[in-house]
Amino acid sequence: MIRRLFRLWPHPGLLVRLWLLTAVLAVLQGLLLGLLVPVLRALLRPEPDIAAASPWLAAGAAGLIAYGVLSALAPPIGYAACIELAVQLRHRLMRHVTTLPLGWFSTERKGRFVRTATSVSRDLAQLTYVIGAPAITGTLVPATIAAVVLAVDWRVAVPLLVTLPVALAALARAKRTVAEVSADMEVAGNEIAGRAIEFGQAQPVLRAAGRAATGTARMRGALAEHRTRYRRGLRRMLGPDLAYSGVVAAGFVAALVTGVRALLDGTLPPADAVALLVLAVRYLEPLGGMIDHAAGLGAMQYLAERAEKVLRTPALPSAPRPVRGLAHAGVEFRQVAYFYGDAADGAAGRTPALRDVSFDCPPGSTTALVGPSGSGKTTVTRLIARFFDADAGQVRVGGTDVREYDHGVLLSEIAIVFQDVYLFDTTIEENVRIAHPDATDAELRDAARAARLDEVVERLPDGWRTRVGEAGAQLSGGERQRVSIARAVLKRARIVLIDEAASALDPENERAVGAAVTALARDPGRTVIVIAHRPATLDAADRVVALDAGRVTETGTPDELRRTGGGFARLYDQYERTRGWHITATFPEG
Amino acid sequence: MAATDTTRARPPGTPPPPERPAGAPARPLIGLGAAARMLRPVRARLIACAVLSAAAAAAGVVPFVAVAEIGRTVLTAPGAAAAAPAVWAWAGAGAAGAALRLLLLGLSTHIGHTADAEMLHHLRVRIVRRLGVLPLGWFRAAGSGEVKKAMTDDLEAMHELFAHTLGGMAGAAAALLAGVGYLLSVDPRLALITLAVPLLSVLAYRIGMRSSSPHAARLLAAEGRISAASVEYVDGIGVVKTFGGTGERALGRFDAAMREHTGAYRAWAAENRTTSAVNRVLGSETAVLGVVAAAGLGFVAAGRLGAADLLPFLAVGIGLPTAVAPALVHGAHGLRTARMAAGHIAGLLSRPPLPEPERPRRPRGHRVEFDRVTFSYDGAANAVEDISAGCEPGTVTALVGPSGAGKSTLAALLPRFHDVTGGAIRVGGVDVRDMASRELLASVSPVFQDVVLLRDTVAENIRIGRPEAGDDEVRRAAKAAQVHDVVMRLPHGYDTVLGAGGGGLSGGERQRLTIARAILADAPIVVLDEATAALDPDSEAAVQDALAELVAGRTVIVIAHRLHTVSGAHRILVLDQGRLAESGTHPELLARGGLYARMWRAQYDGDRA
Repeated sequence: MIRRLFRLWPHPGLLVRLWLLTAVLAVLQGLLLGLLVPVLRALLRPEPDIAAASPWLAAGAAGLIAYGVLSALAPPIGYAACIELAVQLRHRLMRHVTTLPLGWFSTERKGRFVRTATSVSRDLAQLTYVIGAPAITGTLVPATIAAVVLAVDWRVAVPLLVTLPVALAALARAKRTVAEVSADMEVAGNEIAGRAIEFGQAQPVLRAAGRAATGTARMRGALAEHRTRYRRGLRRMLGPDLAYSGVVAAGFVAALVTGVRALLDGTLPPADAVALLVLAVRYLEPLGGMIDHAAGLGAMQYLAERAEKVLRTPALPSAPRPVRGLAHAGVEFRQVAYFYGDAADGAAGRTPALRDVSFDCPPGSTTALVGPSGSGKTTVTRLIARFFDADAGQVRVGGTDVREYDHGVLLSEIAIVFQDVYLFDTTIEENVRIAHPDATDAELRDAARAARLDEVVERLPDGWRTRVGEAGAQLSGGERQRVSIARAVLKRARIVLIDEAASALDPENERAVGAAVTALARDPGRTVIVIAHRPATLDAADRVVALDAGRVTETGTPDELRRTGGGFARLYDQYERTRGWHITATFPEG
Repeated sequence: MAATDTTRARPPGTPPPPERPAGAPARPLIGLGAAARMLRPVRARLIACAVLSAAAAAAGVVPFVAVAEIGRTVLTAPGAAAAAPAVWAWAGAGAAGAALRLLLLGLSTHIGHTADAEMLHHLRVRIVRRLGVLPLGWFRAAGSGEVKKAMTDDLEAMHELFAHTLGGMAGAAAALLAGVGYLLSVDPRLALITLAVPLLSVLAYRIGMRSSSPHAARLLAAEGRISAASVEYVDGIGVVKTFGGTGERALGRFDAAMREHTGAYRAWAAENRTTSAVNRVLGSETAVLGVVAAAGLGFVAAGRLGAADLLPFLAVGIGLPTAVAPALVHGAHGLRTARMAAGHIAGLLSRPPLPEPERPRRPRGHRVEFDRVTFSYDGAANAVEDISAGCEPGTVTALVGPSGAGKSTLAALLPRFHDVTGGAIRVGGVDVRDMASRELLASVSPVFQDVVLLRDTVAENIRIGRPEAGDDEVRRAAKAAQVHDVVMRLPHGYDTVLGAGGGGLSGGERQRLTIARAILADAPIVVLDEATAALDPDSEAAVQDALAELVAGRTVIVIAHRLHTVSGAHRILVLDQGRLAESGTHPELLARGGLYARMWRAQYDGDRA
């Protein structure tokens, strides 16, 4: 556990100081209690002899002062450690996450990462003090007392010395059980939470079916299941808890009986016996209290594992001698295969997203990717930008495998316009300029015009200085997409990847975005690869790559493919039909 | 639950974890009486748990007393042999006390746990029942977050109360009473001096915590900024990387948030430096030991206390305060948290349900009539104002208008997501408020763009539209909704259990499942709110075919952004700022040259490209 924590914190200076100080205090406390032996020997004579006790009392007074001074020092170091460790861990996590492939950032992983960088880091850092320190005290005070007792009478010491390791083993078991039960309960709790959300969302349909009052069978099942698991979990924790307390109590009783026997058969002087029994009590109490920390120790382990998991995620591999320039802006796929899921599972356990995909996009051309949802279009664009790497075959840009490039150089040549556009909480101008911080105002305005962003900026209250809000919340989806296109234009990247999501937009934005995309596609200086949904975009493309179930089904010019009457032709008709569809009550119309 | 347990172990003087600032403005605390009423089903067991816990704690003091008494017996007896019977008796009592404590503690914990599990289950069932009768609009406004919070987080906070806090506090109080009572019987003066040390420590803690609210608020705000900065960082990392930045700007924000957090924490710690040092020093066993030794020796030297009478203070007195203080201090904290959570749950349980008519009336036919309908969310501004229109059976009525015009609000009033604040909505001549809500919802099928599927089999997801439907009917509905082929490709066909996200189905396929559900439900009135807006065009065509199947022959109310999709409607209602701006057929409205004509031109003429 300690080694694990030190692995998380490469500069554990404060933590070491905090724990050392705690350890010193614990040993000092044990020794001060140990002074009871000589002091009581002096006092518990028929006539108390304070003079005989005074050297010990002087030592005790000195020890008390030292203890007071040292323990007054502890809280500031503890606070500083809490802060310092959280900051260190958060920095490490942030730096590491920067090296991960962009494909790693799924919504779920992002959520987990944010929790790790915030509450997990904070709690773990706090636990090193809040749980770590009492755990050290709870172990070292009894250990010191056992040593003192051993120095006075080995017989009484034996039960105490035997109890300590057994108790710690029992504590470890309790800790494991708590961890297991917590994990189990978390699963059951998540299930309940999921069902509750679903239950709320599905109210209209459940009520129409008359099932609102009782919930669905699965809801009731989840509630009953939760109760069962919960009871089982609590019952499971009870055993190790009581076992621990039992071990500690048995150790104490054994010491008590041993001490009393030695006292009564005259082999242990009464004063010594009394002092040792008092020490046995002082041994019992902190050790017994350790069970209260079992949950905290379990939590510490669990949190440390979560932080480790993020830090263990492999970074995007980089070439030993990275290529730092593109020969040209052509893109080629050579028998590319890609599987969803964790690479560690092997190909068998993973779903193929692309299989044997080959096509060429010459420099300056515009290629439309078409196909039903789930056919692998998005995967194609993400492989070009190395969100993740192909499992087989080669993705080449400028004639060179993308894995050979310095990733930064590769990305500097690529502009990406995806469906989900992320904007930073700053002005709209800064959000566009991020693509090219040194751009002149004229360049900025040109880019805005090309992306039809100028209309949006005109309407905003503070023009270019308008703040877009958290994640760009002040702008609509279409407006955000226009910002993203403006970025792409301003960046002057030679390769542009576009995921056109026209249908999520309102009609006005749809038209503006469509026009901007078409304009980008017509620029001969750019290689454009666009996931196309609009007939107009298809018409603007030089070539079409049609995908279905991860395979290329057709390639050619739009005209050729429309004439051959294959899947593309059907799709094209469908797009046209969608545009013309309208709703009537009496007859469905094509 | 691990996280809550760790806060219990916090040593006095540590600032509380920022998620629960001690003095932050909080939800109202529930009264103890109300909390007790809520706990009524398990009250007997909770009392038993607390009593047993107190008895266990009292028994736990016996071994310590035994040690002290053995010492006093031996030291005052004339010889070892004379003392032997009494010494053995005390040793036996000590062992028995330790064993009894274990037994009682086990019993108490077991009873507490059972009560805990029962209570949580009981409250969850009550919450589910209540959710089933709340106005549907509440779910949209409060959202699923509120439901989840009550069902999990709040109940977990209350669980602390049943499982730990009550028993822990009862035990700590009993141990304190037993210990102090014993010490008072030995020597009242030294007993009071012994107790003074931890009392001063608690006092220092209180003083230190006095100024905690502003600090806690600042810390909380800084934590919020750290969280926001890390969210921004991971969300924006794609942008950062692809635009050649190293992320310094975004990291800069994170660093700034962390610096602010560090500053806030340091400021709090600095202000508390003295009190927390005092609290820490006085709160230790060693301090009590020092005081007991100094005062006790003084008394002994002055001949006012027998040396043997020091033993009870060494055996029982030293550890007593440190053993019970955490349970009392944090118990109070846990109680407060639990009461807050209980207040939230009680608030949910007492939310007024959607009013049901005492004598429900049955509609004649399915004509929908909006009669001077007005509705306001907040009682101040009207979201919908004075709208009157009739929708004849078998016709399509379209609601169009700029965003924020009140289209979705008006549509949601029909299935009573909210009740009108003025005017009335009638179905078949009967006010929707006079219909049994089950009958109303069985007559109106809403299809929204946010698809809700249950984590259940495909068949059950369709069947929920009409629970008594047979397998054939389910299949027929799926075929009509153009989703049968999709289902047949799933690993277990209609028995495939859908995951939380719809498990491998695309957005269009999920939408078609809900349309199949609506087709099976066979409600005479259909409300479509932008049902295809969130789909990609590939799915859209199939969904459109499914919709065509659904709306055939029904009373249809449809909300549309793309005007051409409703150009064939029998009647188009054009809303603007909550009011009915104009209405008519597509050609009529174009000819009128009003808002609709302007919107049409903006969408379909004058493309710049």
